[in-house]
Amino acid sequence: MEEANREGPRLVTRLSELLDRQVVTESGRSLGRAFDVRGRWSGNGVRVTALVVGRRGFLERLGIGSSRGERRRHHKTWKHDTVPWEAVLRLQDGRIVIRDGTECE
Amino acid sequence: MKRIFEVALGILAAIGGFVDIGDIVFNTAAGATFGYGLLWVVVLGVGGIITYSEMCGRVAAVSKQPVFDAVRERLGLGTGLVALVAAQIVNLMTLAAEVGGIALVLQLLSGLPYRALILLGVLALAVVIWVLPFGWIERVFGYVGLCLLVFAVAAIKLHPDWGEVAKGFVPHVSTESPLVYGYFAVGLLGAAMTPYEVYFYSSGAVEEGWTPKDLGINKANAIIGYGLGGFLSFALMITAGALFLPLGIEPELLGTVALGAEIPLGQIGLILALVGTLFAVGGAAIDTCFSGAYNLAQFLGWEWGKYRGGAGAPRFTITWLVLLALGFCIVMTGIDPIMLTEYSVIFSVVALPFTYIPILLTANDKSHMGRYANGRVANTLGIFYLLVILAVSLSAIPLMLLTNMGQG
Amino acid sequence: MSTSGELDLAYGVLDHQLVDSEGRRCGKVDEIELEGKAGAELRVTALLVGPGAWRGRLSGPFAWFAGRLFARKVIRVPWDVVESVEAAVHLGKTASELGLGRDDDRWRKRIARVPGS
Repeated sequence: MEEANREGPRLVTRLSELLDRQVVTESGRSLGRAFDVRGRWSGNGVRVTALVVGRRGFLERLGIGSSRGERRRHHKTWKHDTVPWEAVLRLQDGRIVIRDGTECE
Repeated sequence: MKRIFEVALGILAAIGGFVDIGDIVFNTAAGATFGYGLLWVVVLGVGGIITYSEMCGRVAAVSKQPVFDAVRERLGLGTGLVALVAAQIVNLMTLAAEVGGIALVLQLLSGLPYRALILLGVLALAVVIWVLPFGWIERVFGYVGLCLLVFAVAAIKLHPDWGEVAKGFVPHVSTESPLVYGYFAVGLLGAAMTPYEVYFYSSGAVEEGWTPKDLGINKANAIIGYGLGGFLSFALMITAGALFLPLGIEPELLGTVALGAEIPLGQIGLILALVGTLFAVGGAAIDTCFSGAYNLAQFLGWEWGKYRGGAGAPRFTITWLVLLALGFCIVMTGIDPIMLTEYSVIFSVVALPFTYIPILLTANDKSHMGRYANGRVANTLGIFYLLVILAVSLSAIPLMLLTNMGQG
Repeated sequence: MSTSGELDLAYGVLDHQLVDSEGRRCGKVDEIELEGKAGAELRVTALLVGPGAWRGRLSGPFAWFAGRLFARKVIRVPWDVVESVEAAVHLGKTASELGLGRDDDRWRKRIARVPGS
């Protein structure tokens, strides 16, 4: 997945290639690590919509402080740090590079 | 009516199934060393096992997830694997200790050579596990284990100073030898909250096909069953405190423990104590044997369960057979089962957080648990006990080394 | 609910139990395969099962041990087969059709010879 970008060929990758990667903007600002990949059901499949990003690391992985399950059930407008997948430019040197000016939602 | 009867039978089995060799060893040793001074620790430990059994029973009934399913899901592959390895080592030690305990009791009953009785005990266990359905195993061993109630009678007959007993229930720390006191406190907590109990309890709930309708049974079994099971621990400690402490006896043999029932009650007391111990320890041997197979199968995603039949869950079946064989080999080396028990209890305390954290997280996951997720009471208790466990697991090994396993 | 809305792949799918159309437990979601482009469409295409799938996720001594102990076998379960994602991931075909649970099948025959199984 090194050096993969949007102009390049289609890529086949594994989830663990994205998990725990540093997420940085083009100009080098770090947003933390991608501790999850969010998808949305469309038709029979699932399309990746966003990276879930955070700095709390292990606690996030455990589901502490993100109450993801709860959010899904109650449809609260609770927000988490996510980076839309469209903002991802490339995967480079083990980091996920995103477009400048992308703010966490 | 039939329902009430069923619930009552389940509770009885839980009472009888509460005590294992770890409880017997630590409660008796604590009583012989500190009298009634550590009774409050047993109360604390029983509260912990109730809290987490109820939680993991509820998770198993609602989302059908047993403990090591939750461990893999919540801790992930790497950390989960550490938890698995730790759990399996401790579990195998406990299994070996229970098998050794069976042979010791059989020896007291029959006078035959120890090693031959290890073989006999293991073969008997294998046959029982193979032939009897899950529910039967749990019930038979639980009910006969209730013979240990003889220690409650013994405790009363020994006329302990009830004022002193009552004082033992008030949390305090001995100033005389605080480290040894601390070591026994850790051991008692570890014995009450032995990790295999939650592995077995949650997997058993799936074995018996619990659904949210059975949450009442879950509560009753955990709270009343384990709560009353704690009484057996009290009885053992009070008996030891009233009998062994004044005489200066350190009960390092299971035979000495049984003396606690023989001296006040005569031969019948001795026989009931030995039979009760045999079935309590035998039941625990089966529970630990299954637990090891449950954990591995659930972590790797294999089919598992006694309810699937031997051929329905082949790798699960092979795993418990292998574990039983390994337990047999360990005891055959001639290692002292009582010492093995102490090590297994102390190490189990160290491994406990790995088990309890994922249970707490899963029980809070509303996407799986919906309205059955933890409420405020379960979470307050859960977090309280998690903190207790963390503190205890950090101090367990240092205390063991500093006190030379409670020798002072 | 289970085939609509959002789904967090690491939290809600990875490392979950697989259950086949007959209710048989047949492995874990050891890895998830994705296909697409950075920034453009990226879809979940398959679940990967087996030691070859999870080995790459380990590090340190575990990775070394896993390399020695287990084969590199990976079984690819196309995402189309997924019926629903709950506490377990439920599949719409049997384990045998998908090539899952082969080791259990192998041992089953031997154990079935023992009376009482």
